[in-house]
Amino acid sequence: MAATFYGLMARFDTAPDIYHAAQQVRDAGYKNWDCITPFPVHGLDGAMGLRRSNVPKFSLLGGLTGFTTGMSMIWFTGAFDYPLIVGGKPYFSPLFAFPIAYELTILFTAFATIAGMFILNWLPQHYHPVLKSKEILRGLDDAFYVVIEARDPKFDLNRAKALLNEAGAKEISELEA
Amino acid sequence: MSTHVATISPSVGSASAASSASAVGASANKALVLGLVGLALTGAGVFVSGKAAAFSYLTGLVFWVAVALGALFLIMIHHVFDAGWSTVLRRQYENWVTCLPWLGLLFAPLLISAVVAPGVIWKWTDPSYDLSQVGGHGTVAQDVLWVKKSGLLSTMTLIIASFVGFGGWTLIASRLRAHSVAQDTDGDIAHTHANRFWTAVGLPFTALSMTLCVILWVKALDYHWYSTMFGVWFFAGAVRAALSLGIILTIWLWARGDYKGILNNNHMHSIGMLMFAFTVFWAYITFSQYFLIYMANIPEETFWYSLREINSDGVFNTWGYVGMFLLFGHFFAPFLTLIHYPVKLSKTWLPRVGAFIATVVLVDMIYNVMPSLKNSAGDAYPFVSLNLLWIATSVVGVGGVCVWAYLNSFAKTKLIPIRDPRIVESLTHHE
Repeated sequence: MAATFYGLMARFDTAPDIYHAAQQVRDAGYKNWDCITPFPVHGLDGAMGLRRSNVPKFSLLGGLTGFTTGMSMIWFTGAFDYPLIVGGKPYFSPLFAFPIAYELTILFTAFATIAGMFILNWLPQHYHPVLKSKEILRGLDDAFYVVIEARDPKFDLNRAKALLNEAGAKEISELEA
Repeated sequence: MSTHVATISPSVGSASAASSASAVGASANKALVLGLVGLALTGAGVFVSGKAAAFSYLTGLVFWVAVALGALFLIMIHHVFDAGWSTVLRRQYENWVTCLPWLGLLFAPLLISAVVAPGVIWKWTDPSYDLSQVGGHGTVAQDVLWVKKSGLLSTMTLIIASFVGFGGWTLIASRLRAHSVAQDTDGDIAHTHANRFWTAVGLPFTALSMTLCVILWVKALDYHWYSTMFGVWFFAGAVRAALSLGIILTIWLWARGDYKGILNNNHMHSIGMLMFAFTVFWAYITFSQYFLIYMANIPEETFWYSLREINSDGVFNTWGYVGMFLLFGHFFAPFLTLIHYPVKLSKTWLPRVGAFIATVVLVDMIYNVMPSLKNSAGDAYPFVSLNLLWIATSVVGVGGVCVWAYLNSFAKTKLIPIRDPRIVESLTHHE
């Protein structure tokens, strides 16, 4: 079976090189591309033009769910399902429901944050085309890579190659899906 | 090892201190005049409102003591954790704590009143105080709840605790500041080590003495009441007020041009995170105090909150609204605002949030002090009254003196500790 073309993988040797290359790829208007670095490069997210993560939206949703769950649980058990006077207190008050609501807010926020991170990163992901390339081993060790995917609407093989060469790529290889 | 050569030029920060020293000196004098006018008006208030003006003065003074102690705690927390990022911010706190001896001096009239006219502010300074004036019966000396606590609640303890407190805080603050400033000249690492020593001694001392002092000054206004949360509550409010003051000073200096090229987004983010953390901490402490008292339902504790919600005839009073305002204004509003990342980076919004928090810390202080002044039915006087004016004059009066002390110190020191071993780490602070 003939392998389909996935994209281009370009090697850079230093962190400043990939930083400037990322800025050029960003300015060229590509959307489906990524950087592979052996360690976190400070400011690379800005150079790649990444916006802030959407994970906090998941966290907020989780927090609100947790708070509501805690409050309604105490109301359900104490005032609706089996009303019982305990310690001369009302059947329901947000006061004594607060500790449980607060705990569930934290718990559900943590769950939603982890889940949101997994969903937005498409995890778990057991296969990725760059893993097929032997180059990736250097990408985990001492080299920096820019990968531009062929599915990007702006992708054109020759123009993408020219852009990466201009950005100072040391070596460009083609990836199979 | 004896000298540390800083890699940045010593000229950073000194320019402003030199060129605008006279302008700062003029502002300092204005602040002092404003402060003295405020204090004079509060003094006049004693002749108009009597006791109530004294309570108002106590409120305003304790608020500024909270700000100063919060600043002192932040300096010590910086040293005890060997923090790097906050080095460029530390000097402004070191300048601020020079107000501590003046606050001690301003506290003296209250102590003198406890000797000359006992019972005016703290009922237990006068064992023959007639409790029927405030809705009770008998005298303080006949009150078993005072007799059991009389070892602690006496004029002598009050005076000694206040002297030890202000004396110790002033000593610690002046040593921390002196070593930090001396390091600007000689760059000696020994100053950093000396500050760690003063911090190791100062943190437990300040924590204990502050707790004892606020118990005597504020909590014991209603000596029947007890709460194990009280010292921590004061600490939370103090640090929140100091962080708010810090961000306002920092942005003021940034707007003036001093902090240009020094203050970066990550400093803002870190200050914002601390403000957020202490918002949650305050809520945790305050809620726990209320929650434990609500659940246990012991009359000696619950009366304190009942007083701040309903009068003895069962009518809901203005303090109930103040309590609700504290719940939403002191916790939910700052919490939901500071949780946003852009707010923490905004040089427009973060100082505004800081100003709001500082205001609500003052309201919290009013809520804790003023209702302890009761009428003959044992009810609190309303929140909205002439007393608010005396609180305002006290806050301006004592605040003016604090600002004067800060500006005087500011004109004499460099903007940042230029030869601190961690200054480069702080200038390049990143996530």
